Amino acid sequence: MRELLKTEHLSVSFFTKSGEVEAVRDVSLTVEEGEVLAIVGESGCGKSALCKSIMKLLPKTAKIKSGKILADGIDITDYTQRNMSRLRGALFSMIFQDPMTSLNPTMTIGKQIEEAVRIHNKKMPKKQVKKKVLELMQLVEIDEPEVRISQYPHEFSGGMRQRAVMAIALAGNPKILFADEPTTALDVTIQAQILDVFRRIQKKLGIATVFISHDLGVVAGVADRVAVMYAGKIVEIGTAEEIFYDPRHPYTWGLLQSLPILSRGKEWLPTLPGMPPTLIHPPKGDAFAERNAYAMRIDYEKEPPMFQVTDTHYAATWLLDERAPEVKAPIGERRYGK
Amino acid sequence: MLYYGKKLVIFMISVGLLSLVTFYVSRLAPGDPLFSYYGERVEKMSPEEREWAEEKLGLNDKISVQYSRWINQVFHGNFGRSYKYKMDVLDVLKSRLGNTLLLGGTGFLIIFAGALLLGVICAWKEGGWLDKIICKAGTIISCVPEFWLALVLILVFSVSLRWLPSSGAYAVGQEKNISDRILHMILPLTVIVTEHLWYYGYMVRNKMLDEIRADYVLLAKAKGIKKSRIMLVHCMRNIMPSYLSIMAISVTHIMGGTYVAETVFSYPGIGTLAYESARYKDYNLLMIISLMSGIIIIACNMAAQILNERIDPRMRISRQSEMQEVDNYE
Repeated sequence: MRELLKTEHLSVSFFTKSGEVEAVRDVSLTVEEGEVLAIVGESGCGKSALCKSIMKLLPKTAKIKSGKILADGIDITDYTQRNMSRLRGALFSMIFQDPMTSLNPTMTIGKQIEEAVRIHNKKMPKKQVKKKVLELMQLVEIDEPEVRISQYPHEFSGGMRQRAVMAIALAGNPKILFADEPTTALDVTIQAQILDVFRRIQKKLGIATVFISHDLGVVAGVADRVAVMYAGKIVEIGTAEEIFYDPRHPYTWGLLQSLPILSRGKEWLPTLPGMPPTLIHPPKGDAFAERNAYAMRIDYEKEPPMFQVTDTHYAATWLLDERAPEVKAPIGERRYGK
Repeated sequence: MLYYGKKLVIFMISVGLLSLVTFYVSRLAPGDPLFSYYGERVEKMSPEEREWAEEKLGLNDKISVQYSRWINQVFHGNFGRSYKYKMDVLDVLKSRLGNTLLLGGTGFLIIFAGALLLGVICAWKEGGWLDKIICKAGTIISCVPEFWLALVLILVFSVSLRWLPSSGAYAVGQEKNISDRILHMILPLTVIVTEHLWYYGYMVRNKMLDEIRADYVLLAKAKGIKKSRIMLVHCMRNIMPSYLSIMAISVTHIMGGTYVAETVFSYPGIGTLAYESARYKDYNLLMIISLMSGIIIIACNMAAQILNERIDPRMRISRQSEMQEVDNYE
């Protein structure tokens, strides 16, 4: 499998009036052709900032402090906005959280998709552009595309709008798709529909996808690999199988335990105590230590490195150090048949 | 149709109220209307002569009686005669209207286009030195009082440098000479434009900045569209409705500015006429000028609304649903 996207020790900060916000800290990851990498974590953990920094869609206050971004083998770390606009839509594209606001209200849906088609195929004749627009609308399963093409966003429902956004994102045949919580703003039934459409399209086009979500339930259905982020860092990364059935990081344990489906019939829904730390001055040592029931003294002093569990599975917790006491994971036992 | 009918009724009521208020206020304000009719001679008039003159002009009756008489005349197409010019007020107006339309219209167009240009430039370079300079300079310049600026301009360009004429709309006998007219318009136009330009330019800048931060811009960026196209095609479409309605309302503002500039530069337009008629109590002339100005303003606001609905498709919907509600009630 070919690596389409790679970040090496990427750190991104927002320079605000109240100080430097270290939104993304030392993130290294790869996305391979055709796979779906899910990034999960609580709000404010840097999932969105990571993707937007790769596409350079962050406001001017955000800067890449260190690290590298390789897209399709090219180092785009220092690309200007002008250079980026050539890659956006063609190499990678993005779907946003709120379909109610991400379409231009004064342009027809057809025009907005057409614009995305034409921007990367400037010489395409008009008829063919229209054909392509209709094809895209069929691809994202918008009924009656001939009618819908000349309608405005306000005439579309939330789910339909998100499909239109998907059509726009796919118009330039991108190799990588970032989906930034594409179902969060939709209600549950529509969520399921959109996820279905998403999965079908992903299978059909084999497009590499970075799927951001804070909902592990959603992720379980779409992801090949999962990266768990906490306080701007990746704390655990592995195949979906490994993360769901053999999680190693206490934070992942906490996230999985708090899935309502696992507490069915029980009196209590376990939750993670406390709040994520502010990223203006991230705490010394492991940022998760404060909330970690398994924290050891070293967690407060030194940041854990990424420990390798298998070829594909890494986790940043001192519990994996050989000197650490043996701790049995409170979750994910199914794999061992208990 | 009902929609336009309703608008028309509101329009009529507004105009009616406007005429009533102007009529009463002008008559209750201190001043001597006989002065505009008889000029200097008023001072030498005996009380009997005054009595007779007021009787002749119908100024002795109660204001309500005068008003109903005036309304009656208006419905017969007669707006009365000007005390000062001793002609039908419409003819007086006609002789001045062209000048004002030329001056105010040109000023309006320059402001309309200039504000858009300045606003977009500033939004484009948000926070940069060009934006900062334009913002600061614009604020300072638009704070300079109109009449003062006018006097300074006259002092510099007419008195010291002798480049430009200080008053009038054209030199004697040069009524049809376009270059002479333009020459006479430069100073008043400068005043009108500098006074209003930044006010609207700043609005465009801020509206543009709001739009640039909207989510749809992020999607447009993500699909690979360049900043120029995003700003000029996507954002522009979205600020146009509010810009047009602001500009339609600005007609009032700019008209007022034109009137002031006309007065300072003795430009023979409606503004000078309005000033004179209010000052010297040329009642009939004052009424027709305020009515005309009012009608222009109300019509502009309505035009703005209709334009808005053309550009922003969401407004059409809201109008429809509003209409459906009305239908339900009836």
